Amino acid sequence: MDSRLVTTYEPDNSLKKGYKGIFPEIFNELKANRWLIFQLFKKDFLALYKQSFIGIMWAVIIPLITVGTFVVLNGAGVFNAGAIAVPYALYAVLGVAIWQLFAAGLIASSNSLVLAGPMITKINFSLKSLVVASLGQSLLSFLIQFCLVVVLLVYYRFVPSAWILLMPLLIIPIILLTMGLGFILSLLNGILRDIGNMLSVCMTFFLFLTPILYAKPTTGLLAVVSTYNPLYYLVGVPRELVLAGTISEWKGFALSSALAATVFLICLVIFHLTETRITERI
Amino acid sequence: MNDEAVIRVEHVSKKFCKNLKTSMRYGIEDISRNAVGMPSRCGQLREREFWAVDDVSFEVERGETLGLIGPNGSGKTTLLKMLNGIFWPDKGKITVKGRVGALIEVGAGFHPMLTGRENIYVNAAILGMSKAETQAKFDSIVEFADIGDFLDTSVKHYSSGMFVRLGFAVAVHCEPDVLLVDEVLAVGDEGFQTKCFNKIGELREAGITTILVSHNMHTISNFAGKAVLLQNGRATYYDNTAQAIKTYNKLFLLNGEADHNWEIQTLHEGNNNISFNTRINKTVLTPGDDITLLIDYAATKEYRDVEIDVVLLSSSESGMYFQATNKAYDKVVNLLSGKHTLAISVERAPIHNSVGRLAVSIWAKNRAEMLFWCRVPVEFTERSYAHGNNFFRVRYETLA
Repeated sequence: MDSRLVTTYEPDNSLKKGYKGIFPEIFNELKANRWLIFQLFKKDFLALYKQSFIGIMWAVIIPLITVGTFVVLNGAGVFNAGAIAVPYALYAVLGVAIWQLFAAGLIASSNSLVLAGPMITKINFSLKSLVVASLGQSLLSFLIQFCLVVVLLVYYRFVPSAWILLMPLLIIPIILLTMGLGFILSLLNGILRDIGNMLSVCMTFFLFLTPILYAKPTTGLLAVVSTYNPLYYLVGVPRELVLAGTISEWKGFALSSALAATVFLICLVIFHLTETRITERI
Repeated sequence: MNDEAVIRVEHVSKKFCKNLKTSMRYGIEDISRNAVGMPSRCGQLREREFWAVDDVSFEVERGETLGLIGPNGSGKTTLLKMLNGIFWPDKGKITVKGRVGALIEVGAGFHPMLTGRENIYVNAAILGMSKAETQAKFDSIVEFADIGDFLDTSVKHYSSGMFVRLGFAVAVHCEPDVLLVDEVLAVGDEGFQTKCFNKIGELREAGITTILVSHNMHTISNFAGKAVLLQNGRATYYDNTAQAIKTYNKLFLLNGEADHNWEIQTLHEGNNNISFNTRINKTVLTPGDDITLLIDYAATKEYRDVEIDVVLLSSSESGMYFQATNKAYDKVVNLLSGKHTLAISVERAPIHNSVGRLAVSIWAKNRAEMLFWCRVPVEFTERSYAHGNNFFRVRYETLA
């Protein structure tokens, strides 16, 4: 018996322990649970695609249909995507791929605690791992969608910039933002189911509000909104770097990344402090 | 703290909210307070809250098995979930030494779409097993679960028995220092139950500390050396399991009344053609006594060949000591018209230190019409085991 392992449960445990140890504690928890995170991800993945012929290729179908619709609308003149220097399909598919990281990831993580409700009320295991694992699915989808981007690059004989090799680093800010919001929304959704429903509606709205399927307008209300929309920078700047090799709005990107990191840290700490109170309300 | 105490529960309380909408509001409130570093004020009750577990204290030493008993809704599962860290106490403190394994619901982490093999890996990880540990114990888990060719079949196609076997197999292989078991052994067939108890026995021998929740007093008295009886969230600790069980059994009959003030419950008393009145010789019996129920009836017509069910129920909801009808004894009973008394006697009932109910129902017209149904509480006193002559006669002999 490992008698060194002594667990104490009492109200406001984290408050009594103080804030100093929080980050090492969180880090150790996630590190110790790597295998668990992988297994939880595997479970989600297998459960989702087991009874499906197309399986993970559904990840390709979603951006193809979204982008396809806009290609048609654009061609018919119903919708004007604005001045885009690169082939529209390439621009839109890459944009949607990065966007889906955020949108699908946030929906998955905000539902993670609720969906695992029957499990977490019967087994004690790391809730953080559950939220982190729920993002695995959208990372995998991104990978598949990125392959689609590569196919389009070949099709259009378009040479991307060398930044494409740094793609994994460029998406870190948007992943941090997703994870941070995911932590806090999964908690809130555990108590108020409205959060989950609201999120699905909001994601469609934000997709159109953010210049992803069209170029950022230069004038008007949408231009102002985009200027203050961190998602615009987090999606638009990596895309611009990969396709054109230039960065026109580095300041916006830097600020948005800093914001994403801050949101991530604050939400992670809040989750850590309050996760012991969530199971009883799920 | 006693050095040998593996589990220490000190004045622990847990509150819940009765109303869902209010609970949502409180949830947001609690989380907001914790998030900004304010204490959650969980020690006091707000509107519509109640204590599900109220000021419970006890200790369990290494290697001991503690039985946790109480009626439905008394807080057993809540307490067990707090010991496992699923729920956090609102007051008090729980200290647990070592790795805790909980069998609160077998197969809780299983996904129906995944195969048995995949579920073993996922479930083992959720229960805290590492990759190496899972791989090392995989064969042993499969062997214990005994699901044969179904290992690579989706769990949704499993029979409920197979599902439970696999769930239990994974859970017992995580080698906990403290095992919390919540009534899970009630499922599964007898062969598997035996296997489970053997496994728990094996773990106990290895020094594991166990807390067992069960409504089956036979299980509790066989396995638990000590017991905690929960009633409306409040706990009483018993060094002697037999005493705890007796108190528990009485709960169902007394409903807070003083001893022996039990009423005969008549649940159905005939129709216009017949009426009944019930008497009993005595309700406190010594093991081996006859239980005699006298039923006076007044009938305006004759009921021929009625069927009389006699059931001796144990105090727990489902258990019974004995059940028969007059048909089983080849006895034809006719209820004659006029005023008569029917005497029903269970002879030499060998029941020891327990409480129960004698239920009698009378049916006419081939069970198409119920004439009468009543329940009579009875208590059997304790007797020294040295006598033996009032129990079932059991022979012990070695044959050549």
